[in-house]
Amino acid sequence: MLEKFTDAELEAYLDEELSAEDMARVETALRNDPALVNVLAEINGRRDMGVHSIGAIWRRNRLSCPSREQLGSFLLGILVDEQADFIKFHIQKVGCRPCQANLDDLARQQEETEEITVSRRRKYFESSAGYLRRK
Amino acid sequence: MWSPVFRRSLAVQEVGVGQCSSSEPKYFNLTIKIYFFPMTSTSKSDVLLIERIRDGDSEAWGELISQYEGRLLAFVESRLNHRASSEDIVQETFIGLVNSLPNFDTRRSLESYLFSICAHKLTDHLRREGRRPTLPLSSLADESGSSWGLEGNVRGASSIVRSGERRHLEENSLIDALREQIQYWQKRGDWSKLQSIELLFVRGWPNKKVAVEQEIAEQQVANFKFEFISRMRSIIKKQALSEDVFPELYEE
Repeated sequence: MLEKFTDAELEAYLDEELSAEDMARVETALRNDPALVNVLAEINGRRDMGVHSIGAIWRRNRLSCPSREQLGSFLLGILVDEQADFIKFHIQKVGCRPCQANLDDLARQQEETEEITVSRRRKYFESSAGYLRRK
Repeated sequence: MWSPVFRRSLAVQEVGVGQCSSSEPKYFNLTIKIYFFPMTSTSKSDVLLIERIRDGDSEAWGELISQYEGRLLAFVESRLNHRASSEDIVQETFIGLVNSLPNFDTRRSLESYLFSICAHKLTDHLRREGRRPTLPLSSLADESGSSWGLEGNVRGASSIVRSGERRHLEENSLIDALREQIQYWQKRGDWSKLQSIELLFVRGWPNKKVAVEQEIAEQQVANFKFEFISRMRSIIKKQALSEDVFPELYEE
């Protein structure tokens, strides 16, 4: 049986904003159901025409996302239950990718050695600093 | 023990209500209530950082990289599961940022802007790998004959083509209202309402599925939806925006 997705989920897929698991589900469905490509194209066309969706505005502007500091507090387990529950909901049920990425990054900072981090950052710096405007 | 990273995070946090037991060490029994602030604009410290970078300050550029590279890498790696390719995409993201920085609008959130550049770079990479389809430029060229036709009392596509600037204005008009509404629910502790609306509009779930997920009556979900749509419609009317470009709010 072909998997069903809502328009809001497919729009989030187009923007690379679904959770990694849901992105993979859509990609699997696209391989098995060529008609889904047409549905995506229709959604894309609608957007080209200037039609807005509340979901896309909400996601793009991250209107209910907790801050990084709040995610840090969540990892420490020091938020009150209702707020911790909301963050869990926002990441697990809504599948907010940027918030999940922040959470993964904060957790990784605990594990990664400074040497690895510094080396990676140096690589980014050296490959991009040349584009800075010269005084 | 808390790591220095998390201690630093807590130090800059705006705390609403803190509770601490005097009989136990502070860090064991601390609960914090914080109002959620949506990430819709660049923080003052990021604005200063961007100004320094625009002046060619390479140290500031290094600071920005240190601040954001980890979350971008996690964002990409969750999709690729390949460290070297993920790092390449993050690298391209920073080059994309430095090239577009002269035009960056600091009223936007820097983090959201970085994630959007990163998502574009990742999408390009996945297309090259054949994991993402290349879509027709427009649905109007769709040979299936299917139409995205708007239902109800709304007009067809040709009458609502909008300029980018117009679309931006329309979106901005709604952002403030949505932000205000979300903060209101958070302050009141209306978590069930907030979660229901997020599932209805951000995930696009039907009322019944939301009711099951939230363990509330379907009628309750319908009431939340009705109230929210009414509020959005009144804002659209008040700001003289076109109903045509918000079809989901006018579907029967």
